[in-house]
Amino acid sequence: MENMVVKIIQIILSPILALVVGVFFLGLARKIMARIHWRYGPPLIQPVIDMVKLFCQKSVSHGFMFDLGLILSLAGSIVVVLFLPLGGIAPLSGSGGLLVILYIMLFAPLGMALSGGQGANPNISIGISRKLILSLGYEVPLLLVLLAVMTRYKTISIVEVVSAQQSTAWSFISFPLFLSGLSYFLIFPAILGIRPFDTASAPQEISSGPMVEYGGKYLALATIEHAFILFISIALFVNLFLGGAANPVIFFVKMLAVFVLGLCINAVFPRFRIEQAVKYLWKWPTLLAFLGLIINLAMRS
Amino acid sequence: MSLEILLIIAFGGALLTYLLGKASEKTRDFVAVIISLSMVAFVVCLYGKSPEQTFYSGFLGLDLVLRLNMLSWFFAVTIAVIGALSVIYSLSYIKTREKTDFYFLMMLLVNAAMLGIVLAGDLVSFYIFWEIMSWSAFLLISYNKGSALAAGMKYIIMSIIGSVCFLVGMLSLYVSFDTLNISQIASAMTSASPGHILFILTAFCIAFGIKNAVLPFHTWLPDAHSEAPAPFSAVLSGILIKMGTYGFLLLLYVIVGLKLFLGLGRGLLSFHSILCLLGAVTILIPTFIAMLQNDAKKLLAWSTVGQAGYIILGIAFGTNLALAGGIFHFFNHAMFKALLFFAVGAVEFRAQTRDLDSLGGLAKKMPVCFIATLVGICALIGVPLTSGFVSKWLIYKTLILEGSPFLAFFALAGTWGTILYSYKLVHNVFLGQLPEKYKDIQKSPASMQLPIIVLSLAILLFGILPGIPLKVINTIGTSFGFETLNVTLWGITSETGTLNTINIFSALLVAGIIVWIVFRLGAKSVSVPQEDSYAAGAHTPADKYHYTAEFYNPFYRMIKPFLRDVIDEFYYWIASSVRSLAGNVRRIYSGDVGYYVMYIIFFLAALIFVQMRWKIW
Repeated sequence: MENMVVKIIQIILSPILALVVGVFFLGLARKIMARIHWRYGPPLIQPVIDMVKLFCQKSVSHGFMFDLGLILSLAGSIVVVLFLPLGGIAPLSGSGGLLVILYIMLFAPLGMALSGGQGANPNISIGISRKLILSLGYEVPLLLVLLAVMTRYKTISIVEVVSAQQSTAWSFISFPLFLSGLSYFLIFPAILGIRPFDTASAPQEISSGPMVEYGGKYLALATIEHAFILFISIALFVNLFLGGAANPVIFFVKMLAVFVLGLCINAVFPRFRIEQAVKYLWKWPTLLAFLGLIINLAMRS
Repeated sequence: MSLEILLIIAFGGALLTYLLGKASEKTRDFVAVIISLSMVAFVVCLYGKSPEQTFYSGFLGLDLVLRLNMLSWFFAVTIAVIGALSVIYSLSYIKTREKTDFYFLMMLLVNAAMLGIVLAGDLVSFYIFWEIMSWSAFLLISYNKGSALAAGMKYIIMSIIGSVCFLVGMLSLYVSFDTLNISQIASAMTSASPGHILFILTAFCIAFGIKNAVLPFHTWLPDAHSEAPAPFSAVLSGILIKMGTYGFLLLLYVIVGLKLFLGLGRGLLSFHSILCLLGAVTILIPTFIAMLQNDAKKLLAWSTVGQAGYIILGIAFGTNLALAGGIFHFFNHAMFKALLFFAVGAVEFRAQTRDLDSLGGLAKKMPVCFIATLVGICALIGVPLTSGFVSKWLIYKTLILEGSPFLAFFALAGTWGTILYSYKLVHNVFLGQLPEKYKDIQKSPASMQLPIIVLSLAILLFGILPGIPLKVINTIGTSFGFETLNVTLWGITSETGTLNTINIFSALLVAGIIVWIVFRLGAKSVSVPQEDSYAAGAHTPADKYHYTAEFYNPFYRMIKPFLRDVIDEFYYWIASSVRSLAGNVRRIYSGDVGYYVMYIIFFLAALIFVQMRWKIW
């Protein structure tokens, strides 16, 4: 019974935690970017101010799927958070492991793509097309990386991956997985969709692509969705390669470190064209990930 | 007795439908539907029974046997259901065409023959039903005339090659074991030498591989699927090619048996790993080719080749999870691919085109088809809460845990490719701008919507409660000698990883409701027409929206050079060189008597020379 109560509290708590951290990251990103650009930058809570404002504004809808896609996408992201271990909190992780996480993570881009598709705007179509190509680009090395991790620890459960690292060492600094971790880090900006891989949104080029028709509460929800995706991508990396954490505080410190490193890359790079992005992703990161998987497999048998 | 009656109704019903069609079309339609529905009822009633009976003895001294077990029941019920739905769907689809009596005859004949195949208890009756199926399928593929004739020809030539291989394997079995009864062969097989087993496996694998469109035998499928009438495309893709799957299961697990099959060869050079690799390649390459297609049905056809790869991979891998995944994926694929062909066919029926570059924006005009396509592609991708997810999860899990991450990589990467082409399908047909010419397009007729709705609901039901089919599949697995899986209504529990779909479902439902409430709390939104969109101050012109055409253009330019269908080109090269060889041989018959006299004299001279030189006679 007590177990049940704890679980319910965790289920309620972890999405809220993810939202707060994600939105904090969004604010922090603007601040850090501004400082790198020698500007002062907006206050940390600027995203919250924006969201409240947007919720009160009038907006346009392009139809049934336009609304539903967005809702579905956000709901999918919330569910992913429930499956991820966040420093000891992992309410639903027993329902299918890493494979399920990988698949529920599909709801977010798919929902956005369906919602955007009904927007009937050329910029959206271009943006979605690029986003899907890019995701195929980074999924190839990412899948190799994840398979290496699962092969190494002989499990498909992310909780067990975390606990195995806590009893030995972080995967990132243990030998055969080091290559995979490096590959993961090289594709990390592509997963987050930040420069040099922001070709899908590309604000100056295709008016933010899939987001162009969103206004008012749609834009607010899309921002929340963005915060969630930011949180999930970083949390997955921390869990798989930086050993997760025993408590949420250390977990968030690790996330922060990864995020700031990513931002520094974002701040100084120009944008890839989509073909260049795919070519890059399928060259060095894939090669590293491939090597990592082969060595892991050889060491296993 | 009951199995005979089943087949008599099936075949007799087909003939009856044809004859009734001469008198009245309404009665014919009615009878066709009644017969195909009664097949469903009949097969469902046979659940759990295992009759076996000889229906004809004395054919070359062999008994022709019909029998039912869990494996054939599972296939039979899928055949009956998809067959019945496609007959219902045909009612309005085919109405305005000519030769409709012939169409219904063939449609029912194909379904009857497929039921015959899964019920056959010996290889002779298997072969007879197999041929009836192949030939009636040929006639249906060519039904549309024009380019369909070429597609049909390609299909039947490859099909005949498969049949010949089947005959060779069958004869070899008969010569060594003196029986063609499947269960008797199975028990005699343990005494066979590895070389003989390999020979038999190869012969039958070519036969079944051609039907199941495994690389490199896939080349007939894309043409045949896209040229056939839509309801038959659904049957073709949903169940007809799965007769190859059934054949593989029968061959690998019943006739040869798991132990002998896994013990053939060693390491990477074993039969088992080559078959797995073929399955994996069959997943990956067609998936990328599917992205390049601009014809909706051709895209689905290539996707069928790719999905068949998952089934083969699952079956060939030979663990109980993989087998369960493979059989479950067969079942899912039958449902979602039939659904997708139905939906695309409904669009084609109204819009008179299936060109992905010219359609668009039909979501508001044909909502049922849109939702169905959405459900279909979600199952195709394997999004959780559709049945496609569970089968793929089973396959991935066993591949990873058994130490074959590269096979798992092929399978997973294939899925991510699937996302690209399935989104293209749904976006280019249903989303984006609605062209002016489709402003007044009608909804599809009710008899076409009914099968679509039924299949969509089934996919969601089995996605949330996968335990229903998994229980049957589990029984099949145990009959092959595997340990039982720990199946619950909503997934699988085991020490190495639990799947619980009901948790995922309730989490998603609650999260969705919460987001929806938040969404409702915000300021109201107004609905605007599609022209009212943001284009950085410029006007978005109506009907000039070409961004759906060549949807993944930057990517095409990268991968197109690598994706020539060399196998198809190779077959065509063989065909054309045989043709030119035959053309040259034909020149011997010049029609001039003088030449013929010369041939005779040369021939006699040669004979005389041989006799003088070697004194043979």
